[in-house]
Amino acid sequence: MKAYDYHKPHTVKEAIDIMGGLENAKYIAGGTDVMVLLRQGKINPANLVSLRNVAEISRIDTQNGIRIGAGVTHTQIANNEFIREHYSALADGAGVVGSKQIRNVATIGGNICNAAPSADTACPLLVLDAEAVIAGKSGERQVPVDDFIVGPSQVALEKGELVTGFVIPAFGDRTGSAYIKHARRLAMDLPILGIAVRATVKIGGAQAACRDAFKLTDVSDIVKRLEAEGLVLEDVRVAMSVVAPRPVRARKAEEAAKGKTISEKVLEELGEIAASESKPRDSFRGEAWYRRDMVKVLTKRALLKSIERMTGASSMVAPSRLW
Amino acid sequence: MENLLHVGKNVPRTAEIDKVTGHAVYIDEYKRPGMLYGKILYSQYAHARIKSINTEKAKKLPGVRAVITGYDIPDVRVGFLGDQTVLKRDIVRQFRDEVAAVAAITPEIAEDALKLIEVEYEPLPAIFDPIEAMKPDAALVHETDARGRPLRSNILPLPWKFSAGDVDKAREESTYVVKHDVTTPWINQCCMGTSGCVAEFDSNNNLTYCAQTNVIFGAKQRIATYLRNIGLKGKKIRVLNPVVGGSFGTKLDTDIYEFICIQLALKTRKPVKIRFTREEEFAALPPRQASRFTIEQGCDKEGKLTFRKVDAILDNGAYTSWGATTPSVMMLPISSMYRVPNVSFQATCVYTNNIYSQAMRGYGNPQAAFAVETSMDLLAEKAGIDPAEFRLINRNHPGDVTPMGLKITTCPLEECINTVKEKIKWDEKRGKKNGRGVGMASLIHVAGGARVYLSDGTGIRIKVNEDGEVDVLSGSTDQGQGSPTVIAQIIAEATGFRPEDVNIVFGDTALGLWDAGTHASRHTFVAGNAAVRAGELIKRQILELAVQHIPKLVKRSLKQQQKKNPDFVPPELDYTLIDSPDKLELKDRMIYPREAPDHPYFKTEVGKILTSGLHVGVGESKAVAAEVFWDPPTQMLNAEMKGNYSCTYAFGTAGVEVEVDKQTGEVKILKLVSAHDVGRAINPTLVKGQIYGAAYIGIGYGLTERVQVVDGKVVNANFRDYKILTANDNIPVEAVIIEDPDPAGPYGAKGIGEPGLVPTAPAIANAIYDAVGVWIKDLPITPEKVLAALKAQGQ
Repeated sequence: MKAYDYHKPHTVKEAIDIMGGLENAKYIAGGTDVMVLLRQGKINPANLVSLRNVAEISRIDTQNGIRIGAGVTHTQIANNEFIREHYSALADGAGVVGSKQIRNVATIGGNICNAAPSADTACPLLVLDAEAVIAGKSGERQVPVDDFIVGPSQVALEKGELVTGFVIPAFGDRTGSAYIKHARRLAMDLPILGIAVRATVKIGGAQAACRDAFKLTDVSDIVKRLEAEGLVLEDVRVAMSVVAPRPVRARKAEEAAKGKTISEKVLEELGEIAASESKPRDSFRGEAWYRRDMVKVLTKRALLKSIERMTGASSMVAPSRLW
Repeated sequence: MENLLHVGKNVPRTAEIDKVTGHAVYIDEYKRPGMLYGKILYSQYAHARIKSINTEKAKKLPGVRAVITGYDIPDVRVGFLGDQTVLKRDIVRQFRDEVAAVAAITPEIAEDALKLIEVEYEPLPAIFDPIEAMKPDAALVHETDARGRPLRSNILPLPWKFSAGDVDKAREESTYVVKHDVTTPWINQCCMGTSGCVAEFDSNNNLTYCAQTNVIFGAKQRIATYLRNIGLKGKKIRVLNPVVGGSFGTKLDTDIYEFICIQLALKTRKPVKIRFTREEEFAALPPRQASRFTIEQGCDKEGKLTFRKVDAILDNGAYTSWGATTPSVMMLPISSMYRVPNVSFQATCVYTNNIYSQAMRGYGNPQAAFAVETSMDLLAEKAGIDPAEFRLINRNHPGDVTPMGLKITTCPLEECINTVKEKIKWDEKRGKKNGRGVGMASLIHVAGGARVYLSDGTGIRIKVNEDGEVDVLSGSTDQGQGSPTVIAQIIAEATGFRPEDVNIVFGDTALGLWDAGTHASRHTFVAGNAAVRAGELIKRQILELAVQHIPKLVKRSLKQQQKKNPDFVPPELDYTLIDSPDKLELKDRMIYPREAPDHPYFKTEVGKILTSGLHVGVGESKAVAAEVFWDPPTQMLNAEMKGNYSCTYAFGTAGVEVEVDKQTGEVKILKLVSAHDVGRAINPTLVKGQIYGAAYIGIGYGLTERVQVVDGKVVNANFRDYKILTANDNIPVEAVIIEDPDPAGPYGAKGIGEPGLVPTAPAIANAIYDAVGVWIKDLPITPEKVLAALKAQGQ
């Protein structure tokens, strides 16, 4: 690991100015990815520009949807009551990154800008139609996260530009979301697969009956009850990580589910189509066939979880409760 | 033996507060003036001929003090079979082969210098599958043996063959027979502190060597041999331990980096430190070896075991360390777990171009127990007997002599099995096949030393200072398991002092008497036995002093009182109460007559006697000190692999309740009960710590851990990809201590360092079968394997 200069701006403008005047420089926020890369010798910046002291990117603003500063930590997101209730998938994702110690310092901006295929907050942001707010010399611009993440370690940032936050629209109370990380242990693990789902539904029958459906223990009974109550999938988003060079939406699956009344068959199809859109590879971390199989299983589970949350049955019950 | 004041109590580990406050001097903190840092360049190939090595650029890098290759040092063989050299100069046989090394003023410069070393290789065909490597026409990993004699096969010339009774006849006569294969992976020991050492020569080429070894005298011996072979005959060697952050088998052998460190120190004439990165710890330190077993067992119609036949193939890797000797411990469960009259066992160690292996906690027992205990469930099912009942039918009994010649003394196996049954709610939960299930497995392990060297002895020296501090010079080592506390409790009990009076110095060959090493779960037992004996000598010496000095002190005190107060009438005292050491007792620092424990004049604080004894003033002063070297009365294994190599054996049973997610194949452990026969728990908290820790490592062995080696290369050399369980994976483990004091143990104690992890993995495999009806016989039991098996079964 080489020596480097460490810069500590206090405003976004100052950060951009400093960055503009430096060669071979890198922004650092929580540092949980940058320091690893430095130590491995994969990057060798002469300058690090710290965003730790930039207060304006460390806020959560809940007017008209939500704006989450890029410098907000995973712990802050996972513990935020508003996010837990309205953007549950993001709270799920932020709550399972790395370990408690890492979540206490790692920021959401860093998680997205690092652009790992396995980033735990990426799928939630994709299904929540989030946009990245980017500041540069010439002002601010907004880019959908789906366009912002280009590939492994690649994001749509021009030189000197900085992500200052993420904006997510309001979805109303007929929407629920969930993220399921499939990993081998409960901390310090990369997902073998990550699935996020957002579902906006319409209920023909009684919402209370749908809520009560989740008191049943057998999944097919739950689905039958929901079907009987005429629960229609108005709008569904599915995003998958680790099945492609970057986290991706399963657009065909989303399209196929749209407007359908929930049933075991619809759920089955949703999983099948999502799996057909995934392109997992064999690696020492996991086998392709298994990941593809898990896309099927976890898409269904994340969808049901989303609906469960929407009905108000429970906002944050561990996914394992159902199976 | 009752009325123990300190043994059996949860004495806190106060001696180790330095560890949690960051003051302890681990190898990382150990620094010497002018010390340099060494780094090692490893091979780029699993098998290749080295065509050239150019170190010129590296040597010119500012801050570099030495760059050495195999051409710069004597071509001397090291290792238990002498099958490798320190730096390889002609052929590399594995990715971790050490090709060159650098010493520099900082670790960073040393690392940079490695990148400047140019090595040209000519790749050779490599062989990674031990089965392929065993074939007669397989390419040879080694063309010659240590003495240069040509080799014809990759199979190592090791004598692992055992036979008792008549297996073929027993098979004929068996009502039920089962046969299956199991495989187990390489496992990294995952010590919290990575490997490292500091070597330093004085002007006379005497070596002070600070190392993490837990066999200080063994290391000294190996280094002496090495120095002699490189032309440094008769040099003095002192081996010291820093504070060690875990061993788990890694500190048993002297590893190649240690010889490299010594060479760099010789070359630079400066102290040199080598400390592994975590990546090196995964890629360049020998793990627990990978194994394949074929096991066949039979029983009669009553469920009594008739025979057991086991064939093992061990992937030896390219060279040989202690991994190749683990069949000597695999023998334990194979020959002696449960009563089985006819046994045959053969283990074949095969050279490949994979990483080579060494010891890890359990020393072969976890692999063999996985084979034996899964076979027990298969056979129980075939015979239509409940697996717990099947184990009870065949359980070992006190007084048994097993086919291997082990003499079973205390054996509460029945209690272990029944405790697990009760706590896991066995009868209520078993046999539902509804996604939840229970399983169990048992173990036998050495618990009274293990005679793997001609001596299994250990020495302890005790001196008592005039203020009543007890200094102990132990020939053993502590790697973090709590021996300073446990040995202090034993010494306090034996001497009559308090644990907080005891100050133990471990790990210094210049101070301690010889010791076979802190391994094989032997420390508490063997060092404890030496400590009890030395403690009793100390107590005797003090009581002898007391016989002389109590009357003196009492009379002097009475005289003084008379002087102060002329009206004082001295009492008539019965000095015969204290006229022999046998009439005195020393407990909790107080000396008193046995006949009158609260005697107002004779009861004396021990410090007064020690001071009085030392300051006599007439040429007769006495200091209190004693030493004991104790070698347990056991046998080496003979050529037939038979012999009672431990004073006593520990038993235990693990029971697991699992829930299997049939859609994802994930296994969740709902409960794990681990009941262990420990003889007597010297410190129950520490015993439970050993059981919890071992159970966690056992769960990792069962479900998540493996060193992934692809074409000879470790691909998961970090904690992100090596899935040891974390504090978050809070699996509910209940450790149950079963006490049945062993007559040979110190206050009845048996060893408990290793047993906890042995039965865990097979108990999990058995529970998964009970839950969903699939057998996974290939560790670790990953969700992929479970799901694939479920699919194959059409579930």
